[in-house]
Amino acid sequence: MDTNRELIDNVDKLKRAIDRVKNAQKEFSKYTQEQVDKIFFEAAIAANKARIPLAKMAVEETNMGVIEDKVIKNHYASEYIYNAYKNTKTCGLIEENGSYGIKKYAEPIGVIAAVIPTTNPTSTVIFKTLLALKTRNGIIISPHPRAKKSSIEAARIVLDAAVKAGAPEGIIDWIDVPSLELTNTVMRESDLILATGGPSMVKAAYSSGKPALGVGAGNTPAIIDDSADIILAVNSIIHSKTFDNGMICASEQSVIVLDGIYEKVKEEFSKRGCYFLNDEEKDKVRKTMIINGAVNAKIVGQTACKIAELSGINVPSNTKILIGEVEDTSISEEFAHEKLSPVLAMYRAENFNDAIEKAHELVNDGGHGHTSSIYINTITEKEKLKLFETKMETYRVLVNTPSSQGGIGDIYNFKLAPSLTLGCGSWGGNSVSENVGVKHLLNIKTVAERRNNMLWFRTPEKIYLKRGSIPVALQELKDVYDKKRVFIVTDSYLYKTGFTRCVTDKLNELGIEHTVFSNVESDPSLASAIEGTKIMTEFQPDCIIALGGGSPIDAAKIMWVMYEHPEVDFMDMAMRFMDIRKRVYTFPKMGEKAYFIAIPTSAGTGSEVTPFAVITDEKTGIKYPLADYELMPKMAIVDADMMANSPKGLTAASGIDALIHGLEAYASMMATDFTDGLALKAIKNIFEYLPRAYQNGGNDMEAREKMADAATMAGMAFANAFLGVCHSMAHKLGAYHHIPHGIANALLISEVLRFNSAEIPNKMGTFPQYDHPHTLRRYAEIAEYLGLGGSNDNEKLENLISKVEELKDKIEIKKTIRDYGVDEKYFLDTLDEMTENAFDDQCTGSNPRYPLLSEIKDMYLKAYYGGER
Amino acid sequence: MNFEEIITERPTKTVYKDHGRTIKLFVENYSKSDILNEAVNQARVEETGLNVPELIEVSKIENRWALISEHIEGKTLDSLLKENPDKEDYYLNIFVDNQLSILHKRSPLLGRIKDKMKRKITNAQNIDENVKYDLLQRLEGMPVEDSVCHGDYNPSNVIIKDDGTIYTIDWSHVTQGSPVFDSARTYLLFNMDNKVELADKYLNLFLEKSGVSKREILRCVPIVAATQKTKGKEEEQEFLGKWIDVVDYE
Repeated sequence: MDTNRELIDNVDKLKRAIDRVKNAQKEFSKYTQEQVDKIFFEAAIAANKARIPLAKMAVEETNMGVIEDKVIKNHYASEYIYNAYKNTKTCGLIEENGSYGIKKYAEPIGVIAAVIPTTNPTSTVIFKTLLALKTRNGIIISPHPRAKKSSIEAARIVLDAAVKAGAPEGIIDWIDVPSLELTNTVMRESDLILATGGPSMVKAAYSSGKPALGVGAGNTPAIIDDSADIILAVNSIIHSKTFDNGMICASEQSVIVLDGIYEKVKEEFSKRGCYFLNDEEKDKVRKTMIINGAVNAKIVGQTACKIAELSGINVPSNTKILIGEVEDTSISEEFAHEKLSPVLAMYRAENFNDAIEKAHELVNDGGHGHTSSIYINTITEKEKLKLFETKMETYRVLVNTPSSQGGIGDIYNFKLAPSLTLGCGSWGGNSVSENVGVKHLLNIKTVAERRNNMLWFRTPEKIYLKRGSIPVALQELKDVYDKKRVFIVTDSYLYKTGFTRCVTDKLNELGIEHTVFSNVESDPSLASAIEGTKIMTEFQPDCIIALGGGSPIDAAKIMWVMYEHPEVDFMDMAMRFMDIRKRVYTFPKMGEKAYFIAIPTSAGTGSEVTPFAVITDEKTGIKYPLADYELMPKMAIVDADMMANSPKGLTAASGIDALIHGLEAYASMMATDFTDGLALKAIKNIFEYLPRAYQNGGNDMEAREKMADAATMAGMAFANAFLGVCHSMAHKLGAYHHIPHGIANALLISEVLRFNSAEIPNKMGTFPQYDHPHTLRRYAEIAEYLGLGGSNDNEKLENLISKVEELKDKIEIKKTIRDYGVDEKYFLDTLDEMTENAFDDQCTGSNPRYPLLSEIKDMYLKAYYGGER
Repeated sequence: MNFEEIITERPTKTVYKDHGRTIKLFVENYSKSDILNEAVNQARVEETGLNVPELIEVSKIENRWALISEHIEGKTLDSLLKENPDKEDYYLNIFVDNQLSILHKRSPLLGRIKDKMKRKITNAQNIDENVKYDLLQRLEGMPVEDSVCHGDYNPSNVIIKDDGTIYTIDWSHVTQGSPVFDSARTYLLFNMDNKVELADKYLNLFLEKSGVSKREILRCVPIVAATQKTKGKEEEQEFLGKWIDVVDYE
């Protein structure tokens, strides 16, 4: 022993000691796992060797408990704790995953204040000092004055062994002359408190202002079910209740016995040396045992015979436990309390539910969160056991196990962590609900490196193109897929003008039964989708062909879902998400009933290759965009013959929509090289061929075909990279002011190009791949690809904007929202609401610049008034 | 002294009645600060609006400090209980209601009860150090609240005037803190007076009316018992010794 060590008996000396431990701990915190493990090993060995003298000392000093049982506790605290944590990594890097870019470091906490109870004065010290050494913490022991000699001796033995094995001098220290003032000081000055003791002390620990790991009071009830092995049950309880004369906090305080076996249980208790008190004796024991609701200090840890003697009653000299048969489970019954001695309450339960109710009350009155116990046949009585497990408000529920030895873990069950500090969770007013171990004495530092989000490229399994491809592709319905019944969704115009004929003729030729549903309006409504689903369900198709512009294809997608999964809730599917991978809703698996083919009749929406569908609730006018890769068609047939005679307005509006799909997909934070290639080529072709398709219509089938392919390519790009704030705003502008979708986009795009290209945006978008505001460069890349010239990126951007404006002129799109006849007052009245809705649109999430509400509003205003505003 | 009547005589003070006034006359070497403190505390309680004797004067009579206050004419609950054993429930009701009306009052400048108890227990010469440690720890865990606590609330300190109004006297132990201290002390006082049944009856009535849990009050009993023990009255020592030697379960 260090003879120079200063005796700690006042606050000043204690503060100096804390400083010394702090310094020692600083040194200790640099130790490696190997060094620490050696110290842990040697300290455990030393404590283990001293188990008998320490047990003797504790009993001699406190006059409580049983030497032989305290030997077991000391042995347990050294051997079991060592064994449980010998291989646990507690120093430095303890976990690493390169793929995820995660590292975890174990850091010590600092100086731990350990408050030690009288009931386990040496084993608790061994337990806490070993945990502290394993975790590179310093520790100061605050012993109870009744047990200070033995607690200090235990600490000294562990310290000496630790220092001999290389630990810093003074890494463990203790208060020599305990007082509440010193206990409070050490709690206040430490970095963490390990508080084992009564509720008052634990409360004091929690109010010290330092993080504390406290324990709660126990009042363990043990139910003996009529299915239990009575001999095992009774003898386990006796074994547990007599252990160290009943001083373990998890020890049984009452036994609740089912009526049917009550007498047998009683007989077994009597046979094994337990004494049943008569009424008069019960009263005497009550008065001796509990004073004003508190345990008489004189009976704690005494033998049954000693307690009988103190109570003035005679019992046989070999009596192990005094049992009081009582009925009341409330705190006005003295036997219902925690008794810290070999005294047991015994209740007769009418049935299992009654037993549970009694146990519940006993736990909630005196041992909330601690431990409960049951003896039951676990094979035949699973239901009852389940009920017990769910009803008990304790964080340890022990089955067929002596609770003293069972609750501390690793003796009767090898997955319950060994510990002498049993957390009781919030029910017991504690911060932990588990058995306290090394993890509670460590800080874990997590290093998280930046990682890019995984991206993807997904398309329909088949995309067929070139003019005249429809009948060739549909041949597969027979040859490859063996389809029997085809349901065609289109709109009434296309149906009446015979557009479906090229499909139905082929199906007739193949002998495939088919029907046409053509009641789809533009901006398809939920009502028409429901109507279509009804007819579809009656028809029971094994293939769906959607033929048309965006509306019939979108409507068909919705019908497809409702046909295959009538159980799904539409509102769930329509819920917005931040990241499609993390969305709350799991979309149902599609394609199990019907194969889905999309045939576009206009060059624009790209719906034939996208996972999106927009549907309008006709009652509220609200548009619901659905998005999930399950909604992607299985086959797309892009046949420009279907578009030959598209009207000019449709050509212009859908064509410019496709251009903006390309522009937004290219600027999106989720853009990849895969989508970039498709977007660039689509943009280039649209600039080149859209004016021709617009001017020449069906006379220029080359332009038609180039436009058909470009729209699908742009669709593939944004099916994977998604869109941006232009579409967010266009969706709402269209909804509020009935401007066709493509036109709405066209009116906004130039403002959006300028907005996104800001090098100093108010806020940039949040996505790992988007590392700095670089959208100006992205637009410049488009201009370069188009060969627009410009000596710097700003000029290139301006050239791109001019090119877009020029295209709009060529296809006769007007300049401003106002030009489309939107009333100024109505526009301004709805502006704030429209702005907020645009901000909240699904497309905003992938925009490279995160828009403020005021910025969206500003863009709307500029688009409304044009340049002269 | 030429006063009308001596009410009580104690080694440190004599209380007289004279011309509708109560004169509390302290012995010559009595602590000045304690006397002035008692006066200021009484004034504070007066300011809460409770029915208490009005403090009229703090003065010196023949070189001895005196507190002169209004004399409350009437019968104490103590004597009423003795005279009318059949009306025990009725008077106990009044007793508890009156205690609760005091506990509802606030007086932020009064001393704190936990501080006072801590001081008394820490300085006690007649309590074992181990027991002291447990008691102080128990005290540490007690709630901090700010009810006006009379500190010696028992039936002899409650007076019913002829017109039925109820007055509470003797405020020399007043503090502020949790009601559980005040109630635990009353419970103790009944028990020390050998009125065990009345003590239980009182406690149950207090619990019922206040909504405080029995456990909370009982947790406080060893603490108030210890402060009583520090007074060193020989005849109480054994009884109180038993009441304080208990453990907080672990």
